[in-house]
Amino acid sequence: MLDVKDLESGYGPMQVLWKPSLTVKKGNITSLLGPNGVGKSTLLETVFGSVPPWGGQVLYNGVDVTRVPTHKKVDMGLALVPEGKHLFPSMTVYENLAMGAYPKKAMPHREKNMQLVYALFPRLKERSEQAAGSLSGGEQQMVTISRALMTQPQLIMLDEPSQGLAPLLVREVFETIVKMKTDIGLTVLLIEQNADASLNSADYVYIMHEGTIKAEGTPEEIKGSSEIREAYLGI
Amino acid sequence: MFFELLAGNLIQGVFLGAVYGMATMGLSLIFGVLKVVNVGHGAFIMVGAFITLALFDGLGISPILAIPAAFGVGLALGLFFYYTVIQRLIKAPELATLLATFSIGILLEEVIKLVFGSEFRGYNWVVGKIDLGITVVPMSKLYAGVGSVVIAVLLYLWFNRTRAGSAMRSVVEDSEGARVCGVNVGAAYAWSFALGIGLTVASGVLLTMFIPVGINPYMGGGYTLKAFVIAVLGGLASPYGAFFGGLVFGLIENGSYTLFALLPGVEPFALTRFLSFMILLVILLIRPTGLLRGK
Repeated sequence: MLDVKDLESGYGPMQVLWKPSLTVKKGNITSLLGPNGVGKSTLLETVFGSVPPWGGQVLYNGVDVTRVPTHKKVDMGLALVPEGKHLFPSMTVYENLAMGAYPKKAMPHREKNMQLVYALFPRLKERSEQAAGSLSGGEQQMVTISRALMTQPQLIMLDEPSQGLAPLLVREVFETIVKMKTDIGLTVLLIEQNADASLNSADYVYIMHEGTIKAEGTPEEIKGSSEIREAYLGI
Repeated sequence: MFFELLAGNLIQGVFLGAVYGMATMGLSLIFGVLKVVNVGHGAFIMVGAFITLALFDGLGISPILAIPAAFGVGLALGLFFYYTVIQRLIKAPELATLLATFSIGILLEEVIKLVFGSEFRGYNWVVGKIDLGITVVPMSKLYAGVGSVVIAVLLYLWFNRTRAGSAMRSVVEDSEGARVCGVNVGAAYAWSFALGIGLTVASGVLLTMFIPVGINPYMGGGYTLKAFVIAVLGGLASPYGAFFGGLVFGLIENGSYTLFALLPGVEPFALTRFLSFMILLVILLIRPTGLLRGK
């Protein structure tokens, strides 16, 4: 569904991505693992278009979208749950979710998707009239994920969704990600530092280091290779 | 007698304040969305004033019809300056946008001077007066005040009821979040700037309906300063805050004018300016985020 080929990008004069390549299969949860500062977020942002690519290719459903503007990618069914949430703090939870239905193709499904995310996160329904800025960190993360689901995506990319959350909430987030695959039928690209939890929920794993892909395999293969675990994951 | 005078002046102050508010909404809108302070604000007001003058004196077109014309010219000017200048400076340090908008202001002033000359001009639009009992208000002032309120309400509805308006609001709150929702953030920036300039140029028409004299290429400076005071009163980033800030400012200006006129040997108009900047100073000292909505 998503093919990244030899992608290069960076900030100013500093190159961050050194030609990583990866494939996200339809209906799978693909996880990109690696410690902080190896370019995982930059990879997502370059795929999404917030950071302009220097070279390489991004194919989405076989179409070259490398230089397609971000808002058009959202229309095509690509969604991002960004690191740092980026909610609309003075708008209510409901208004934040409604903004998620901004893409023209998502608008007719607004009420249906609203029910869907309320079913996933019942707590958001209770909080629907509260300003998003007044929620707890965990609740805000739920709104961020829900807002991305409201855009009616086919592929959802999550940038460290468990970061800064209490262990109980981390489990809830990962359970939700699995539900996105099994119940809603979404394809997921997940970036994580939390190796244990990702290895348990992913179908396929890439290990990123120094701006490129150093290893890949099924979670069992990664768990089974002590070399990979010791060199890149520290577990 | 004094209280009648004061009440009369305050009634006129409401109309003037509505126009001031409307004349500041563009400044606040541009700051709210782009975090750009338009130092050339007054020059765009001046352009609106000259559009009114040219249409009225040249073609006999009513200032009321000059409002949409000025708004259209403002949108075009806004898009032009956004894509030629502002877009490149959004991520630059603030000084760059301050200098750029300052230069745009000078450019506009000199172009207008080249075309119309630098003498003071005025126009004479006779539409009668209305007697409110305590005071007689020229219809032109009434139109200007009511027109400002109508435009402010339209802007509010547009922001809250339309898809494009919601896109702009989301960009104000968090541009990255807006991008994630599929908002074309670049276009939202461009149209916010254009809309802000459109409102400002249109406000130039309304201001001349209120004060149809003293139109000259350098008339904008005073309005830039007033707009800053009003914007700070209203919380800087909120167009509606600016509108209410304008109302307060109009009342203060007209109310204090009446009071200062009682002092012997004082030119009251000069003192109202002194007072407005005293107010700005005091607000900045005690509530630097603005009076109405602090963030």
